[in-house]
Amino acid sequence: MATIRTSGSKALKGKDLITIGIFSAIYFIINFIIMISSGLSPVIWILMPGIIALLTGVPFMIMVSKVQKTGAVFVMGIITGLLYFLTGQFTLVILITFVVSCLIAEIIRFVTNYRSYLGNMLAFVFFSLGMIGSPLPIWLFRDSFFAQIKEQGMSADYVANLEAVSSTGMLIVLIVAPIIGAVIGGIITKVLFNKHFQKAGIV
Amino acid sequence: MFENKEKTLVFDPRAEIIFLILANIAAFTQRSIYVEVGLIALLIIMLVYAKCYKASVKWIILFGITLMLQYYILPYGPKFIRDTFSFLVFYVRKIFPCLIVGTLIVKTTEVRYFVLALRKWHLPEQIIIPLSVTMRYFPSIKEETGHIRDAMKLRKVKGVAKLECYLVPLMISATNTAEELSAAAVTRGIENPVRKTSVVNIHFYIQDYICLALIIISVIGAVVFK
Repeated sequence: MATIRTSGSKALKGKDLITIGIFSAIYFIINFIIMISSGLSPVIWILMPGIIALLTGVPFMIMVSKVQKTGAVFVMGIITGLLYFLTGQFTLVILITFVVSCLIAEIIRFVTNYRSYLGNMLAFVFFSLGMIGSPLPIWLFRDSFFAQIKEQGMSADYVANLEAVSSTGMLIVLIVAPIIGAVIGGIITKVLFNKHFQKAGIV
Repeated sequence: MFENKEKTLVFDPRAEIIFLILANIAAFTQRSIYVEVGLIALLIIMLVYAKCYKASVKWIILFGITLMLQYYILPYGPKFIRDTFSFLVFYVRKIFPCLIVGTLIVKTTEVRYFVLALRKWHLPEQIIIPLSVTMRYFPSIKEETGHIRDAMKLRKVKGVAKLECYLVPLMISATNTAEELSAAAVTRGIENPVRKTSVVNIHFYIQDYICLALIIISVIGAVVFK
């Protein structure tokens, strides 16, 4: 198969950008399906970053193994953010957590020289932590948050339910879940890499 | 190729992106049902104007169903169902305006017009290229998962194995698509650093301004009427 090898420079080239685009599409679809189903129950919403991390490990890890250059994770984060913005789910808090987590992920990849499996997995842990920005406002601006969603016409039952579920203990669950999810997601990817992808010659 | 040059678009893609942002703001600030219905009606009229008749009927029916569910069915249902679905229904209704504008964009705007719009706004190429690939790739994912589902039915795959059977072929086809698409794009000069020219052009026309004004009015309505 003819692969396009441009010079060994570390800037993102056409092929890298296309690869990032395609895997961002898969990442976003999985992410979005889980995001929508999190409407079923407040508990799912709080566990959401963890569930997303568990299921998106494969596209993320393949993407970083194919694009071993600075900025790949950052561009993926920006695209996910822009698409969320268009679907009306984006808040300032997500923006901040996303930017911070993508930056940390990029630094880890830079330090581990982009090739290390463990380094990529660690980067994925931080990338996944970016999603905690979605339920985080419950704890950050507790009173005004509940006042606001009540005002927007959310059913009183749901608000009461959410208030009951969102204890300080759950905040720890919110932060720990993506870490565990990302590690398991990374291990699943490793298994699949050995079982399928190396044989198929795509990594 | 050249007949497209003379084709006039229904809306300028830049106007459509602004519609989307404004519809978003209106949807998340409004608290009055009249403003909401007004906004939805306006957006559906725009959809009809863009000749998306099937999609318009679909959105009208779906919106009717969610309204019915929220006001006439769910409040009288058993507590468990009410707890589980009231937020989902509420939430889906909130993002309805975005979904309708989204349909409008997908049905009426080819990706190259969209790319042109983003270039006119001077977004960096490092964002425009992956973003346009992402948007183009969504239908492919749908198609691909359809094929995978059919194949799984034939082989009676069950349980957790299903997830693996979805992910692996999807990843492999994604990787192959990335290879092929890059080969095509590089041949067509995607890596050429000069400023790209375009065979098509976009302009704001009277309909863009009218719809913009109407949507701005509904945003004001959303802020004023509580």
